[in-house]
Amino acid sequence: MTFEKFLFYVFSAILVFAATMVITRRNPVHSALFLVLAFFTSSILWMLLEAEFLAIVLVLVYVGAVMVLFLFVVMMLDIDQAAMRAGFIKMLPVGLLVAGIMAVEMFLVVGPKYFGLDKYAMPAPHPADYSNTEELGNVLYTIYMYPVEIASVILLVGIIAAIGLTLRRRPDNKRIDPALQVQVKKGPDRIRVVKMPAEKKMEAK
Amino acid sequence: MDAFLDILWILIKIVAIVLPLMLCVAYYTLAERKVISYMQVRIGPNRVGPRGSLQPIADAVKLMFKEIILPTNANKTLFILAPMLSIGPALAAWAVFPFSEDLVLADINAGLLYLLALTSVGVYGVIIAGWASNSKYAFLSAIRCGAQIVAYEIAMGFALVVVLIAAGSLNLGDIVQAQAGSWGFLNWFWIPLLPIFVIYFVSGVAETNRAPFDVAEGESEIVAGFHVEYSGMTFAVFFLAEYANMILISALTAIMFMGGWLSPFHGIPLLGTLFDLVPGFIWLLLKTLVVAFLFLWFRATFPRYRYDQIMRLGWKVFIPITIVWIVLAGFFVAV
Amino acid sequence: MLENYLPVLVFITIGAVIGAVMVAMGFMLGTRKPDDEKESPYECGFEAFEDARMKFDVRYYLVAILFIIFDLEIAFFFPWAVVLDQIGMIGYIVMMVFLAVLTIGFIYEWKKGALEWE
Repeated sequence: MTFEKFLFYVFSAILVFAATMVITRRNPVHSALFLVLAFFTSSILWMLLEAEFLAIVLVLVYVGAVMVLFLFVVMMLDIDQAAMRAGFIKMLPVGLLVAGIMAVEMFLVVGPKYFGLDKYAMPAPHPADYSNTEELGNVLYTIYMYPVEIASVILLVGIIAAIGLTLRRRPDNKRIDPALQVQVKKGPDRIRVVKMPAEKKMEAK
Repeated sequence: MDAFLDILWILIKIVAIVLPLMLCVAYYTLAERKVISYMQVRIGPNRVGPRGSLQPIADAVKLMFKEIILPTNANKTLFILAPMLSIGPALAAWAVFPFSEDLVLADINAGLLYLLALTSVGVYGVIIAGWASNSKYAFLSAIRCGAQIVAYEIAMGFALVVVLIAAGSLNLGDIVQAQAGSWGFLNWFWIPLLPIFVIYFVSGVAETNRAPFDVAEGESEIVAGFHVEYSGMTFAVFFLAEYANMILISALTAIMFMGGWLSPFHGIPLLGTLFDLVPGFIWLLLKTLVVAFLFLWFRATFPRYRYDQIMRLGWKVFIPITIVWIVLAGFFVAV
Repeated sequence: MLENYLPVLVFITIGAVIGAVMVAMGFMLGTRKPDDEKESPYECGFEAFEDARMKFDVRYYLVAILFIIFDLEIAFFFPWAVVLDQIGMIGYIVMMVFLAVLTIGFIYEWKKGALEWE
């Protein structure tokens, strides 16, 4: 067994373990953190395939951004555990049916018929100065320019949808506009210091 | 067996990086106290060792023997895990760092990308610490810190893209080589990319939660933020991670904008050859120290930003400037 | 290529191990005398009067979502910046169209006030 194969099995085992923990832990924050671990180990598996750019971008985008949002949401949501589990038995048959259909579909698409070492041979190891990023860049912005532009439109839709869903004005906030703050003029806008004669001391009775 | 020997050799190299780094971090804390105290016309630590030079060691020993308090209702596992998550990335980032022309542990092609990815992972320590403590101050700090780091990471990422456009490589060594020329320090990226240099460094200060962007700690408002419940060694690990990150940002600024290990007169006849006699590592160290000093200077000089001002600066000032610079720099390279 | 990444993997492991060892050392060397008052969360001398994990303004989620989108944008820029001198003007124009579309989004969120922190 080569060293790479050894690493592959170690990290695959961690990945499967982490993925199992994601769906079995009661505490949603723990689940989210195991998902982080799952992303991290799958990034190492991608790295073993010599996809260096994608592997690091997986960490950058999923671990560094998407999971931060997940954690934000999960930490601040007030999830009622009992209410969540209330309909478990009633919904179980439907859930199992959906899960079964998904499993069959996945088997049809990624089953041994289309995947496996005989279909896709292990990529030949590249020399030390091979740059995966460069190779990707050379095709991405020339041959695949339309998908790139479409990606930008999808991201634009994402921006607009996020704003549409979450942006709302709070009537109770006490925001200060810094532009108005620095524009105050001497006179009516500012406090006035009034000169007045000192009051006389009250005489003791 | 062969792989085992390889790993052993790598381990030795890692120790050779981490030990001096830890020492630097320890003395950086002393330097901070000394520098700030002189700026405020006081002496600073001066009791342990000559001129207080053993202070960091005394601090380390003290923290080691202090009690670690686990707050009631805290999520114990995550509470202990959080400091580890914050020091791990701070150390691992040094794996791709070139100390001189051929002194680098992992000479990977995607070095810059790796660094950006690790910086983005660093936020977990703070968020988890804040949540696991089950304290209101810690939680507020985690939220503040999350939103702040997130805003400045985009500015930082865009700034890195501009550096990439100028250098044409993700490899940190190649980025330094791209700054070599016949004009010495006038060839370094800080001149053509001046706004990006400033943006990168300021974003770095914000990412490390240092003054004037230290609302995550905000001792006058939320008492210490995410590590208010931490004590003893768990606190020390957070502290080390913060200072290790500051040194990292300083060193990266030196690499990307100040010519890394190149001497200031590199490429100039006569003067250049004379200055090249000094090993490149010394130049890199000097440049890093200059930038690291700025961190301390900032802390002694600037009042803390208000939170809405921080967000404004990140989103509405830095990001537009970097986008304009990407368009300009890209045009010059593409033509 | 992979041999370059082995030290990185080892370094990440060592980084985690150092953190763990330091915390473990603190637990072993430090005293441990638990006390109800000492272990209660700090709240300026008051008793904690509700769960610290409260709900937050949805505004924070918006910031996180916008961050994801811009982070993806940066991920698209990295390979482009590396090969820009090879793909030349065509590649430049492709990416400028990409940037223009996203700048529309940026201007939209600016005008909508999504970047306003109130």
